[in-house]
Amino acid sequence: MVQVTRRHLLKGAAAAGAVAALPGPLVREAHAQTTQKRELVVAQGGDISKFDPHFSTSSNDIRVSFNLFDNLTSRRPDGRLYPGLATEWKREGQTIWTFKLRPGVRWHSGDAFTSADVKFSLERTWDPAQKTRVNTVFTTIDRIEAPDATNVVIHSKKPDPLLPARLAFYGGQIVPKKYLEAVGNDAFNARPVGTGPVRFVSWKKDDKVVLEANPDYWGGRIDADRVIFRSVPETAPRIAALLKGEVDVITQLSPDHGERVAGTGSTQVVGALYAGLYVLAVNSKRPPLDNPLVKQALSLAVDRELIVKELWRGRGIVPSGPIAKGDNHYDPALPPLAYNPREARERLRKAGYKNEEIVIETTVGYTANDKPMSEAIQGMWREAGVNAKVEVVEYSVRAQKNRDRSFKGLWWSDPTSTLGDPDGMMWRLLGPGGPQDYWRHPRFDELGEAARFSVDEKFRAEAYREMTKVFLEHFPWIPVIQPYEDYGLQKYVEWTPNPNQQFEIRRFNFKFRRA
Amino acid sequence: MRGTLGFLAHRLLRALIALWLVSTVVFVVMRLSGDPVPLLLPPDAPRSEIFRVRAELGLDRPLPVQYATFLANVLRGDFGRSIHFREPAARVVLDYLPATLELGLAAFAFAVVVAVPIGVLSAARRNSLLDHAAMGVALVGQAAPTFFLGILFILLLSLKAGLLPTGGRGDWHHLVLPALTLGIFAMASIARLTRSAVLEVLRADFIRTARAKGLSERLVVVKHTLKNAAIPVLTITGLQFGTLLGGAVVTETVFAWPGMGRLAIQSIYNRDYPVVQCAVFLSAVVFIVINFVVDLLYGLLDPRVRRA
Repeated sequence: MVQVTRRHLLKGAAAAGAVAALPGPLVREAHAQTTQKRELVVAQGGDISKFDPHFSTSSNDIRVSFNLFDNLTSRRPDGRLYPGLATEWKREGQTIWTFKLRPGVRWHSGDAFTSADVKFSLERTWDPAQKTRVNTVFTTIDRIEAPDATNVVIHSKKPDPLLPARLAFYGGQIVPKKYLEAVGNDAFNARPVGTGPVRFVSWKKDDKVVLEANPDYWGGRIDADRVIFRSVPETAPRIAALLKGEVDVITQLSPDHGERVAGTGSTQVVGALYAGLYVLAVNSKRPPLDNPLVKQALSLAVDRELIVKELWRGRGIVPSGPIAKGDNHYDPALPPLAYNPREARERLRKAGYKNEEIVIETTVGYTANDKPMSEAIQGMWREAGVNAKVEVVEYSVRAQKNRDRSFKGLWWSDPTSTLGDPDGMMWRLLGPGGPQDYWRHPRFDELGEAARFSVDEKFRAEAYREMTKVFLEHFPWIPVIQPYEDYGLQKYVEWTPNPNQQFEIRRFNFKFRRA
Repeated sequence: MRGTLGFLAHRLLRALIALWLVSTVVFVVMRLSGDPVPLLLPPDAPRSEIFRVRAELGLDRPLPVQYATFLANVLRGDFGRSIHFREPAARVVLDYLPATLELGLAAFAFAVVVAVPIGVLSAARRNSLLDHAAMGVALVGQAAPTFFLGILFILLLSLKAGLLPTGGRGDWHHLVLPALTLGIFAMASIARLTRSAVLEVLRADFIRTARAKGLSERLVVVKHTLKNAAIPVLTITGLQFGTLLGGAVVTETVFAWPGMGRLAIQSIYNRDYPVVQCAVFLSAVVFIVINFVVDLLYGLLDPRVRRA
C-alpha cells in the first residue's frame, strides 16, 4: 500500500543530518509538557491527492480519509478488530455474514446513515462504471442485501473468514449514497462528507488540509477543535517545524533522526511495530536464484542484528519468517532468521554456485534505509563469496518493473499486512497471479488457496505453519527487518499510532495533555 | 512605425514557434519517461485493470494520434485532465501559479534592489574593502546550492533565532526565508555583472571626457555611466527571472511552499502528463513574455536597437 510518498523519506537526508548535528543548546526549546491548544497540526511528507476514499490507497491520502470516514469494522492500534459503523457481526452458515449497524449515526451533512449507504459504498468499489482504485478489495463478495435500515447481509462467493478484516481497511470506507448521487464524484471529492470524527473545512493543495471536529461523533468528540494536515516534503524542515513547535505531529520519522527528536525536553518519538516486513523479494525464475540452496545461503549471509543495530538504531526486530509479528498465526516459537556465513558458503558450494552475478535493484528512499541496507547486504554477501551487485533504479522504473515482473534478481518490497493475517500479506503478494508471482510450489499453493477459503481457524493455523516451512526452504522473499514506524510528537500530545499506517485521530487514542 | 510593427510581428512569430517546440519536446519526453498507470494503482492490481485504466486515459491510442489530439486541444486552451487530481490540468496549474509568482517576484525584487546598488558601489569604489567584501559574498551566494542555503536559513534564522516560520505559506513572515533563499543566486550574479558593466563603461572615452570637463565623480557615475551600463544588466536580470522560476523547484520543496515548481516535480514523478505539459507551457509563456519586455526596454534605452 505504500506509494509515492515514501520516496521522500530519505531525500535530503544529508542535509537533515545537519539538524541532528546541531548542538542541543543552540536550539531554543519550549519545554512545554502541557498545552491549551485546541488545534492539532500534523506534518506529513506529501500532500493528499484525493479525499474520495475509493480513489486512492496512497499513505498520505489514507491518513486523512480514515479520519473523515468510518468503516463497518475498525482495526485499532492493538491490532484487533472493534466495532465501527457496525456494532456486531456474525457469520451464518459458510458464506453469509450479517452486520448490525450503529443506530443514530449522521453524516456530516446531517442526513441519517443507513444500510443503503453500506450497500451503495461496497458495490461502488467494484462497479466498472465508477472506475475506483479499490475494485479488487472485495472480490470475494457475491451480493449485498439491506433488509432494513440497520441490518446488512453480505453473501460471499466462497467461505470468507476474513471479510470483517477486509472491511476495516482501504476500500471499506462507507460513503454517503444520497449526497454522492446528488452531487457526483467530482463535487464529492471537492467537498467530502463522511461520518468520521472530523469534517472537511478547506484544502489548499500542497499547503494544508483543514478539518474540524465533528461534535456529534458516535465515538465521542475528539480532544481538538481542528485538525490540520500540512505537507512538508523535506525531512529537515519537517523536523525543524516540530522542534520549533509549529507542528504537533510529524510522520515518517527515520531512525537516524529519532534521537534528535527524543533528545529535547519538549518532543518525543512514538512508534508502532510496522504491520508488515521489509523484504528483498526474489526473482526465483532467474538462475542461480531458482536454486533454493543459493537463496538459503543468501539469507544465512545477512547479519540482520547488525542492520537493526547500525542502520535502524535498534528501531526494528529480526523476522522469523514470512508472517509479521502481531499478525494471526505468527509463531512466537520460531527463532529469528539465522546469520551463519560459514554455513552460507557451504550451501553455495553444495549448490554448485559459479560466481554468477546477483543483482539487488534498489530505490533510494522509497522505503526507509533501502539503499544503505542494499550496500550493507552487498558487503555481507561478498564476504560469503557471492558476486553481489547493487543497481539503483528510480521509483517509477521500479513501479514499471513491478508491473512487468522484470526484476533481474532482488528488490526491496515492504509488504503491508492489510488484514492482520498471512492471507492479506504473503498469499496476496506471493500467490499465483499475484504481483510477486516469480515462484510456484504445489504444496504452498494448495495450502494458501485452502486457507483463504476456510472458516476453520485450526486448519488455517496448520496450513500457515506448513507454508512457513516451505517458505523457509525456498525463500521467495528474504525477510530482512520488521521496523518500527516512528512519529515525532510534542510531549503534550498523547497519541497511539496504528501499526498499518492507518493514521487515526480518535478519542480512544488521542488527547492533548492539559495543565 | 512600420519598423516597430514588423519588430512585433517577428517577435510574435518566434514566440509561437518556441511555444510549439517546447510543447512538443515536453510531450515526447513525458511519453519516453514511462507509464503513469502502475503508479496510480495498488501494486497488486491485475493486468486487466491496468489495460482498463490505460484505455480510460487514452494512453492506448497510437502516439501520433495522441499528439494530434494534444495539439488541437492546446490551441483551444485545453490541457486535458490531470491524471493524479482528476481535475482540468489548467485549473490545477493556475491554482499553484499565484504562490510561485508571489515567491518569484519577492525574490526578484529583493535581488534587484540589493544587487544593483552593490554592483554600482563596488565598481565606483573598486578594490576597496567594500568591493572585496561584496564580491566575496556574491561568490558564495552563487556557489552555495539553494538546498543547502535553505536548510541553513531554517536552522539559524528559524529554529535557533526563532525569528521566522520554518515553512508553509501565510503572511509576509512566511515569505522572507524562501524569497531570500531563492533571490540570493540571482542577486549574486546581477551584482557581479552590474559591477563589471559599470567598470566597462567607466573606462570609456566619454567618461574620460566627462571627468576632464570637471564633473564630480558622483555625477559621472549617476548620470553618464548608469544608463550605458544598463543594457547588459537588463539582459542578465531578464534571464535571471527565468532562472528564478526554475530554481523555485528546490526552494518550494525545502520551504513547503505550495508553488508550481513543486507541482511540476510531483507531476513528473506521478507521470501526470497533462499537468507537466500545462506547467511547462505556462512557464515558457512567462519566459517569452519577459524576454519580450526586455527587448522592448532595450529599444527605450538604446535607440540603435530600434533601428536595427
